[in-house]
Formats: sequence, C-alpha cells, structure tokens
Amino acid sequence: MQTHMKQNLWGYLFISPFIIGFLAFTIVPMIASLYFSFTSYNLFNPPEWIGFANYIEMFTSDPRYIQSLKVTFIYVLAGVPLQLVSALFVAMLLNTASRAVGLYRTVYYLPSLIGGSVAVAIMWRNIFGDEGIINLALQGLGLDPVRWFGNPTAALWMLIFLAIWQFGSSMLIFLAGLKSIPQSYYEAASVDGGSYFQKFFHITLPMLSPVILFNTVMQTIGTFMTFVPAYVISKGTGGPLDGTLLYSLYLFKQGFEFFHMGYASAMAWVILVVIAVITSLIFYSSKFWVHYESEGGR
Amino acid sequence: MRPKHIKKIIYHVFVSGLAVLLLYPVFWLIASSFKETGQIFATAGNLIPKPFTFENYAQGWQGMGNYGFDTYIMNTFVYVLLVLLGHLISCSLIAFGFARLKFTGRGIWFAIMIMTLMLPSEVLMIPQYIIFAQLDWLNSLKPLVVPAYFGHPFFIFLLVQFIRTIPRELDEAAIIDGCNTFGIFTKIILPLLVPALATTSIFTFYWTWSNLLGPVLYLNSPGNYTVSMALNMFLSNETVSNWGAMFAMSVVSLIPVFIIFFIFQRYVVEGISTSGLKG
Amino acid sequence: MKKSLLGLFGVIMMVLLAACGGEDGTENTSGDADNDTDGGTGGDITLRIAWWGDQSRNDYTLEVIEMFEEQNPHITIEAEYAGWDDYWQRLAPQAAANELPDIIQMDLSYISQYADNGQLADLEPFFGEQIDISDIAENTIEAGRINDGIYGFNLGSNVLSTHYNPEILAEIGIDEMPERYSWDEYQEMAELAANADYIFDTGMQSDVFFNLYLRQHDGRLYAEDGNGLGYEDDQLFVDFFTIIKEQVDSGATPSPDETAQYAGPEDSPVMKGEGVAVHQWSNQYVGIQEMNEDINFEIAPPPGEELEKGLFLKPSMYFSISENSDHKEAAAEFIDFWANDIEANKIILGERGVPVSSIVQEELSTEVDAAQAKVFEYVTWAEENSTPMGAPDPSGAGEIIELLGNLSEQIAYGEVTPEDAAAHFRTQAESILGN
Repeated sequence: MQTHMKQNLWGYLFISPFIIGFLAFTIVPMIASLYFSFTSYNLFNPPEWIGFANYIEMFTSDPRYIQSLKVTFIYVLAGVPLQLVSALFVAMLLNTASRAVGLYRTVYYLPSLIGGSVAVAIMWRNIFGDEGIINLALQGLGLDPVRWFGNPTAALWMLIFLAIWQFGSSMLIFLAGLKSIPQSYYEAASVDGGSYFQKFFHITLPMLSPVILFNTVMQTIGTFMTFVPAYVISKGTGGPLDGTLLYSLYLFKQGFEFFHMGYASAMAWVILVVIAVITSLIFYSSKFWVHYESEGGR
Repeated sequence: MRPKHIKKIIYHVFVSGLAVLLLYPVFWLIASSFKETGQIFATAGNLIPKPFTFENYAQGWQGMGNYGFDTYIMNTFVYVLLVLLGHLISCSLIAFGFARLKFTGRGIWFAIMIMTLMLPSEVLMIPQYIIFAQLDWLNSLKPLVVPAYFGHPFFIFLLVQFIRTIPRELDEAAIIDGCNTFGIFTKIILPLLVPALATTSIFTFYWTWSNLLGPVLYLNSPGNYTVSMALNMFLSNETVSNWGAMFAMSVVSLIPVFIIFFIFQRYVVEGISTSGLKG
Repeated sequence: MKKSLLGLFGVIMMVLLAACGGEDGTENTSGDADNDTDGGTGGDITLRIAWWGDQSRNDYTLEVIEMFEEQNPHITIEAEYAGWDDYWQRLAPQAAANELPDIIQMDLSYISQYADNGQLADLEPFFGEQIDISDIAENTIEAGRINDGIYGFNLGSNVLSTHYNPEILAEIGIDEMPERYSWDEYQEMAELAANADYIFDTGMQSDVFFNLYLRQHDGRLYAEDGNGLGYEDDQLFVDFFTIIKEQVDSGATPSPDETAQYAGPEDSPVMKGEGVAVHQWSNQYVGIQEMNEDINFEIAPPPGEELEKGLFLKPSMYFSISENSDHKEAAAEFIDFWANDIEANKIILGERGVPVSSIVQEELSTEVDAAQAKVFEYVTWAEENSTPMGAPDPSGAGEIIELLGNLSEQIAYGEVTPEDAAAHFRTQAESILGN
C-alpha cells in the first residue's frame, strides 16, 4: 500500500499543472457553456432558461444545421484519410539519409506554414479562379473548367484539397515516429530476406502504430473543428448554397453574427458528443492494432 | 550508369517535381509580393512580376499608425517564446505522468484532457474572457501566455505516445542505478524525447506565431499587436485592400517560421538515431 | 447567474493563483498593460477609442487624435484599431464583460444589437452642450435614433448609386445615362449590353437593393418598430427577384457561380473594361476609381422611377459612446471635435463618408481630390432628392440579410421559384424578428 500511495503522489505531482490549469481556465467556461446551451443568451443580457429548446430546434426546424452537419461529415470522411495517407507517403519518401532531405522536408512543410494566413484565401481564389492554374490545367487535359467557388460540391472539394495540401504537421509527426524505429529491426529483417513490403507491414506499420493513432485522433478532432479555411475562402458566408458551411463556421455565425450564444453552445455540446463517440471508437479499436513497445506489445 | 545512381536520380526528380507542384501557391505568393498592387489580379497567372517592385515591402514595413512592422514582429517573438517555454516544461512533465506512472484516476484525467479538445473554443471564449477580465489581465499577454504553463492537450498526447514507444527496461535499469521517479524523467526520458520535443517546438512556434483570435481578444493597444493582426489591417472591407503590402509582409513573417523549422527539423529526425539507443 | 458564477470563480482563482504563484515566472511580460483606466493625476482623463480600418484610416485617425489631445491637454486617448472582422470579434466579449471602450465606431448593421441591449449611451443630452449640431441636418442626426434615443453619432452619408463606364455605355448605343429610369428601362439598357457581348452590371446586393425597390413601392425591408417585415405584398418580392433572375438569364449580369469566382472587386469584369456598371454605395466610387485609373467612371442614381422615395442618406458609420464609460462628456467632446473642427476634417477628408456638418462640407470641397469631389457632389444632390432613412436595421438584421442572400442565390441557381422564396422569406423573417 505504501508504494501505491507513493505512486499516486508522483503521478498527481507530474500531471498537477494540467489539473490546475483545467480547474483555473477550462472547467468553469465549460460548465458555463453547458448552462448557456439551455438558455437564450445574446451575449449582452443575462441568459434565460429555455430547457431543451435549442437542442430541439437544431434537429427539427433548422435545415442549415443539418446541412452543416452533412458538409462537415463529408469533409472529415474525405479529408482525414486522404491527408493521413499523403502525409505518411511523403514521410516515408523523406525518411532517407540523402543530404538534400532536410531541405525537402522544409519545402514540403511550407504549405502548412502559410495555411493559416489571410494571404491563403486570396491566393487560393486566384489559383482556383476562372483563369487560375487549376482550370488552365484542366483545359490542357481537355476537360471542362470548373467553377470552384460557384458550385457547392466543387467548393467543398476545394476545401478538402486545401486540407490535404497542408499535410505538413502529420508528416512531421510521422517522420519523428519513423525515426524512432530502431534500425536494428530492419537489419534483422533484411538478413531474413524480407521484401520492402514485408518490412513495411511487419515492422514499420506496427512500430508506427502509436503515432498513427495519435495522428488519426488529432486529425479527426481538428478536422471536425476546422474553421479558418472555410471562413476565409467563402468570405465568411459558407457558400455557395451553404456548400462549405462547416460546423464551426455555422456555430460561429450563430454565436457572434446572429448573437444566439445559447444556440451556439448547444451546437458545441452536440459536436462534443459526436466527436467523443468517434474518438472513443478509435481508441477502443486501438487495442487491436496499436503496438506499444513499452507495454510488451500492448 | 549503375542502377543505384539511376534510382537516386529518379528519387530526386520525383521528390523535387512533387515539391514544385505543391509549392506553386507559395511561388505565387512570393511573386505577387513583388508586383504592383494593380497588377496582382491582372497578371495572376504569371509568376514573373513585371515591373518588379520592392514598393510593397517598403510600404508594408512602415506598418501603421506609430508602429512599424518590426514592432509587430518583436511582439510576436516575445509572445511565441514565452508560450514555447511553457509548453516544453509543462507538457513533458504532464506527459511523463500520464505515460509512465500508474495512479488512480489516470484514465479519467486523460479522457478529460482529450475531451477539452473537442469542445469548440468559440463557446468557451466569452466565459474565459470574463474570467481574464475579473483578473484584470485584459490588454496584456497574460491570458495568452499563462495557460501555456499548464500544458496543451495536443502536445501532452503527442509526448505520451512517444514516451510509450520507449522500452521500460531503460527505466528499470535506472532504478537499479538509484534514480527516483524524477531522475528517470530527467535522465532517461527527456533525452530520448528530443525528437518529439522538437516537433512540439515547431508546432508551438508556428501555431502561436499565426494565432489570430487570442491576440485579437486580449491585446488592445496597437503597440502590442502581433503579426497576424497587422496583416489583417492591410485589408479593407470598404475601399481598396493593399494586397501588395499584405503579401509582402506575409512573406516576411514566414521567414522566421521557416528558419525555425529548418533548424528544428534536424532534431526531429536525428534525436534517437544519434543517441545510439538500441531497442 | 453570471454574477454569482463569477463570484464563485473569483474565489477559486484567487486560491489557485496564490497556490501556484511561484510556478510561472512569466508574469512580468514586457509589453504589459499600462493601467488602462484613469491616469490618476488631478483631473486627467484617459479615453479608449476603437475603430475598424485599414492602414490609411489608422494613420489619419491617429493624427486627428493628436490634434485633439493638443487642444485638450487633460485628455489622453488610447486608440484600439483592428481590421473589420477582428474588430467585431473583440467587441462582443468586451460587451459581455462590461469592458467596452469609451468611444466605439459603430456600423448600421450592429447598432441596434448593441443599443437595444443597453450597451450604448443616449447622445441626446450632449447635443447643444458638448456636441454642437447647429450645422447638421436633422435627418442626419436622426439616422442614429433607436426607439427613444440617439445611440450613434452619424459620421457621414452614403447614398446608393450606379458607377458606370461612359465609354462602354456609348459602345452599347446609349449616349448618356438618364437621370431617372424605370426598372423596365433598366432592363432594356441591360439587354443592349448583353446583345453587344458586354455585361451590364455585376448584380445587386440583395438586401440593399430589395430595400431600395421596396422603398420605391411605399414599403421598406424592416418594419419601423423592427418587429417584422416592412412590406405587405409578397408580389414585390417576386417582381424584384424576377428582374434579377431575368438579368442573369439574358447574360446582362453574370451568374452567381461566375461572380463567386472573382477574387475581389479588382477582378470584376467592370474593372477590366468588360462591363458597364456597378451598383453600390457612393463612397465606394473612390475605391473603384483608384483601382483602375484608365477608366473614368461616372456616378448616376440607381434604377427606379420613384427616385426620391427610394433614395436615402445612409450613415456610413457612427461614433457611439458606451454606457459603461466613466467619461461620457469627454467622449462627447471628441465627437464634437470630429464632426465640427475644420482643421481635423482637412485631415479626414471625408474618408468616413461625406461630412455631416454643412460648414465642414463647404470648406472641404476645395481640398478633396477629383474622385472624392464627385462623391460630395452626388451626395449633396441626393440630400435634396431623397427621403429619410427611417429606423436603422433592427437586432436580427444580420440573420435576415444572410437569409435573403441565401434565397436570392437559390433563385438564381433555379433551385427555388421567386414565389416560394417570397413565402419562405416572410415566415422565416417574421420569426427571426418577432422573437
């Protein structure tokens, strides 16, 4: 028992900054927002209790809400896997001992660096514009140009491309993960005459699985929360025809443009539950595919 | 030519070709920053500025009001470095706790931590703002910097995942050598965590550098503004936006981030392999 | 609720801060807040003023502030400026936390929201005291009225107008823009342009021009009391949006998927000499003239036979004083200085809209550049040829504007008929405004 107490003490000592920060800056705002979600609150006047009205309105009489859910799910389902696969692909490509590789890494990370800037919106508009390079390329291939900003489906895909293009962060984490796989494992496999693909599936993937789990969870959460690209690219409208009305964008509009902070808070708690369910499924599944070296393969 | 060389050439052609494709927008941004504002849209398809002008840089660097762009860059540096320090210290401590120590309630606290990532920050904003107002922290860096010293879930989780890939035998060896828990953290885990900490630094640097919402809310005095706020002020919703200056200063503000990445990426990939760890 | 929550929280915070004070050594952040409340010594006053703007507005506004401070040594003014989006993003939490600046630059679309909820001070008590309004038209002052008080001081006037390229107008066979033309005549002109492979205009912002159309037909978009729509007959909705749709169908106006492709106003066909006109607010003339100096744009009134009924002077923006300000009188003095001081206005040069004081306007007419002078001239003409604006946009207007924008988009894409849209708009709008 003595050691048990001691372990608890050390554990809580190490995570105490998080607990203190959580109690100081996060829990009260969280409770407040949960409370707001049951109220009509316009930011200026005291909130008024209205029970579940916000939640009911969302699912019964707000077609834009349903639209934003739909758009967000497409965005997440297409964006996360595509981005992760490209990130892993590039990370593998750059995980070599070439002298130029440091430069390559930096260069491949560049798109992620300009991603959040205001410049990206106008840049993207020019690239996907009627006379932009993308449509020129399409025409060069004998295809019809696409009205990327005028067609709701095309506009959403353009946002997905933008997300994939910024694979840099996931790539970097994959790279760090790849580098921490002991070289000796590969050497041993080579001695046994393992092919490239065998090494990939039997060494790389299992050894990388904790990092894959991390990237999957974080990208899923992050993609659900995407706000800036949708905001800047649609000039804040979520258009055309609400085709890029991502969840966070609609939530922001409700809260800060229409001053329905109660409704926005309810939206936030619904998405929290949705993301929590999805994330727990991913975590649950991780028991079957994630390999922790420190825990004897579990 | 030997097949090994051919393979190498194919590799470089492919990797640099893909890079050019991905970088087209970046080239576009840089090219536009040297164009006259009137030409940016008229010659959007052309990557060579004609005429070539430094005017945008001169104009943008002047900044606005009484503050030049250098002020905004300095402000941003101070802000970023304070946050970076906070993240490195707090996140590694917390991550070690979650990854290596068994204590009652570990799972619950970890779940709570991940959960805080899932609530859209927009709805936390107002209550948080009110708290900081009560503390009299408005119009200062405190609301932006102090929370960094209490960890950031993203980086904690990242570090946890990396620590879990470090074999436990190392800890046990250290215990035999007489290390206590804190000793294991500083002597065994921290050195092996360098790649993940480098990753943390890169992300923290860039995210903080480009953070807009926090500075907008908490920095009222123009003398304290950050780069991202300044960039927005080149745009106008009523008259003509100064695109040229905005692009030029976007390029300038990318340089520090670029340099930081170039320096730190080495540690991301070299950490463990040079420390001679065998699994 | 908020209060007790905060109280509880305050206690927790104090404890925690005391408990972990040693842990974070970051409190001495360099650019720390100089106490932004009062300066303290004697009768000195510190005012906070906030506005949205770009580089040039920020620069000249600071100059005006310096001038004011020189003349009023006991007042120090702290400026807090930001871009449009950032500005409103910051203002909302400031209001929620009772931390609004003393002087707030306000926009027509937000003023009711802030005034209705008691965030802004009534300016009427300052008129004739700190603020001299003897040279300002009553209509202009009244444009800041919300219910029982004046909650925003009108800084300048904008009027709806059509900015056209006379060369292309001549090319499509029209020698001169008529001063008054019906919507039918507008469509006929547009067809001439379409036949000549030009576009006539780049469309009309739905809420703004639908309101114009309604005013011309004795209605307005919002009811005067702000609790509903300001027109009875849905046929007006159908008629207006049918015109808009016909324009797109005939090719006289680009389709919405095409206009969505423009990177910015710089990118529109009219700016590239491929179209005749843009319908917009008078102050935007200076911008388009600056964008392309090869075209000499002219200003004309917008379509509609009932010109006077439709036109009104729109406040370009307001200065409001926050209700929680401790120095409302000093703030009012600054507003007076802004509106009436000739030297100050020689720096402002009508950048925030044509000055409201007739004396200032006269003094400035020789100071401004050619483009600005044209705007002045048009607004002066409109003062005689317009009707009062009526109540500013009610709370909830933002949502209505977005709803109408969405519906007009859907009509243009052929997803919904104007008739269905009209009915839908009425139900939705009434429920938004009525609540």
